[in-house]
Amino acid sequence: MQDSRFEFVTVDARVAEEIEAPSYSYWQSVSKQFFKKKSTVILLLLMVVIILVALIQPELSGYDPMNSPNINRPEMRFRGISLQYPYGTDGVGNSVWDVVWAGTRTSLLVGFIVACINTSIGVVVGAVWGFSKAIDKVMIEVFNIISSVPYILIVTVLLYTFGRGFWQLILAMCLTGWLSTAYFIRTQVMIIRDREYNLASSCLGTPMLRLVSRNILPYLLSVIMTNVSLEIPAAISTEVTLSFLGIGLNVAVPSLGRMINQYANYFNGYPHLFWAPVLTLALVTISLYVIGQTLADASDPRTHR
Amino acid sequence: MRRYLIKRFLRSLLSIFIVMTIVFTLVYSVVPRDRVFFSDVNIEKLQKRPDDYLNYKYIQWEKLGYLKYETIQDYCRGLYGDANGEYVRCLLPDSSETKEFVSSKQEEGWEVSFFEESGQAYSFEEISPLKRALNWWANLIQIDSPNRVKSEEATLKRQIYVGKDFNDRLALMCSGCENKYLIYFDQKFPFIHQNIVKLNLGVSYPTYSGQEVLEVITSSQGEKVKQELKEPINGQEASSINYYTCRYKETLDALEKKNFSDHYADCDAIRTDPSMMKISFIMGFISLVLTYVIGLPLGVYMARHQGRWGDRLGQWYIIFMNAIPGLAYIVFIRFIGGKYFGLPSMFPMLGAEDPRSYILPILSLTLGATASRMMWMRRYMIDQSQMDYVKFARAKGLSEREIFSKHIFRNAIIPMVHGIPAAIIFCISGALITEGVYGIPGMGKILPDSISIYNNSMVVGLTFIFTTLSILSTFLGDWLLTKIDPRIRLEDKGGN
Repeated sequence: MQDSRFEFVTVDARVAEEIEAPSYSYWQSVSKQFFKKKSTVILLLLMVVIILVALIQPELSGYDPMNSPNINRPEMRFRGISLQYPYGTDGVGNSVWDVVWAGTRTSLLVGFIVACINTSIGVVVGAVWGFSKAIDKVMIEVFNIISSVPYILIVTVLLYTFGRGFWQLILAMCLTGWLSTAYFIRTQVMIIRDREYNLASSCLGTPMLRLVSRNILPYLLSVIMTNVSLEIPAAISTEVTLSFLGIGLNVAVPSLGRMINQYANYFNGYPHLFWAPVLTLALVTISLYVIGQTLADASDPRTHR
Repeated sequence: MRRYLIKRFLRSLLSIFIVMTIVFTLVYSVVPRDRVFFSDVNIEKLQKRPDDYLNYKYIQWEKLGYLKYETIQDYCRGLYGDANGEYVRCLLPDSSETKEFVSSKQEEGWEVSFFEESGQAYSFEEISPLKRALNWWANLIQIDSPNRVKSEEATLKRQIYVGKDFNDRLALMCSGCENKYLIYFDQKFPFIHQNIVKLNLGVSYPTYSGQEVLEVITSSQGEKVKQELKEPINGQEASSINYYTCRYKETLDALEKKNFSDHYADCDAIRTDPSMMKISFIMGFISLVLTYVIGLPLGVYMARHQGRWGDRLGQWYIIFMNAIPGLAYIVFIRFIGGKYFGLPSMFPMLGAEDPRSYILPILSLTLGATASRMMWMRRYMIDQSQMDYVKFARAKGLSEREIFSKHIFRNAIIPMVHGIPAAIIFCISGALITEGVYGIPGMGKILPDSISIYNNSMVVGLTFIFTTLSILSTFLGDWLLTKIDPRIRLEDKGGN
């Protein structure tokens, strides 16, 4: 060993005592996995821009569905696309750009709030439901019964009872909406409930709540993520359907559903009026969906390599 | 198996009962009943006459089934008849009959009150949801028998006999029953028809006023059409009356006396278009078949070529169909089909007989549903392809094609099959948005329409039909699972 290119290293006893393993942090790996895809990052940026515009633009434009200042000015109706009116104007002389963003804000709020409430109640109830056989016996009958009552009937009756409005709509959509999420989670929990690692854990005396929250729910994170990313477009879509039926939000609240429904009548003459809300909505829901799916994939530890 | 079936049947009955009670509570108790008059034009005219106003409200509520209502006028009419001195005296608030009326109604548990201006007595009884549900169930199944008709006519013979109908075919006929023809044969599916056992789901009001709920959704629609009769009835060679449906009618008018030889004169008409249920079912079923025929192979293809451009394209299609609300792409399809292919953009333009009317609605139904079939088929295929038995099959040296068609596909198809009975049965419930956009007279919009117009018996009847069908279809789905997957058995419940 006379080669000058080599040199001796000293033995460090302290380092040898520790087990050498690459450091692993769950959330760091999730974010690394998530930002790996270029298309997702672009969609995420787009999403942020859309949310910001939807939150800020209606404040600036001051659009109010109860107030159409240009209704008596025929020359303002059905203006084409211009710099001042990026989406043109509609049949009562409102700038479609303003209407679309006000409606998008409502839709986004409905989607997020409903998805949040339904998912959080659904996950908590579903986890317990799937875990306890005694609860399952009761809950499965409750589920059968409530899911048999037509959804439209429940929503309509609630809206008739409490009046039509933003929070009433959210209440109506959430009152029974969490049940399907809970049922979905229940089935997932049942599948992994009896795996060996859970058996071992409960043999060691882990209490049920800890077992559910520490052993099972992290395992289900990706499934829950997928569910949320489907739940938001579904809630927005439900609002559109309800507006189509003439129930749903009242006239004072701007709504994409009512807009699409109204502008569908102009489809032959002024198709851009119809496409403006539809494509905005599609942009929102598609980016939400793709972001949700990527996040779901990234939150699955098996993809962390 | 039998014990399981009986248990499941009883549980289903209980579920339906609870659902009906909930619906009765929702419809009759939760919705404020003054809303009924929101769009009523008559109520404004009565605003200034408080007695008539109140009377009108109660009569309307009684018709909609909210309560039972009786006034002193009904009571006095029963005692003395109309328009005489006794009757007028009887109506007065301090008459002895009013006292009798008040006390007898109070004994029965009715609420008694007096009109503001005239001071005449009236009484009403609220019906509790549970009582209403029990009552509804008690009258659900009606069996026809020769003693059913309550008639004052002494000449009415009460008998069941075998006779010849107007088409010169044998039929089991009845005199004294509600229906004239109990069992009869004709050329329409299922060839043997019966009128003996009938489901009574209530009478529709205010839309389709006076018709039974089941009749509204199952009887033909559109223009009346004449059909040839083999044996002319009263000299008529052809008639638009469906004589098989004739029911007993106590008092006949002059025209009916001329046209009918007996009291069975309450008949349905033969019309050109299929019933609501049939229209929805035809379209739903064709689109369902297309959905499975297109969706499943595409899903399998996507799973086999995971990550390649075919799979990517399919996934974008799925995302798009999920992201755009149904209303939007249906309107778009209608526009494209109408403008570039000359297809009718509204159903009534060419009517129910022309097959072209069905193309665009079926397409609209299929495109959305195909996306979800593709998504799930792909998901199940990919999940299955990561299983150990697939690695084993590969290790054995089976070809990829064989692994996919014989191993993965057969396991992946199991959860898809479970939904088929439900999908077929729910074709009759129609498609809400598609039928609305194309103006199709189907089942889709009838529930929301009935809710918004307070057609309470219709809502209750439809809920019963849908609930029963959903429970039935879940059971059929489970049963089908055991047929295609011998590992699954229904009896062993509990655990996983």
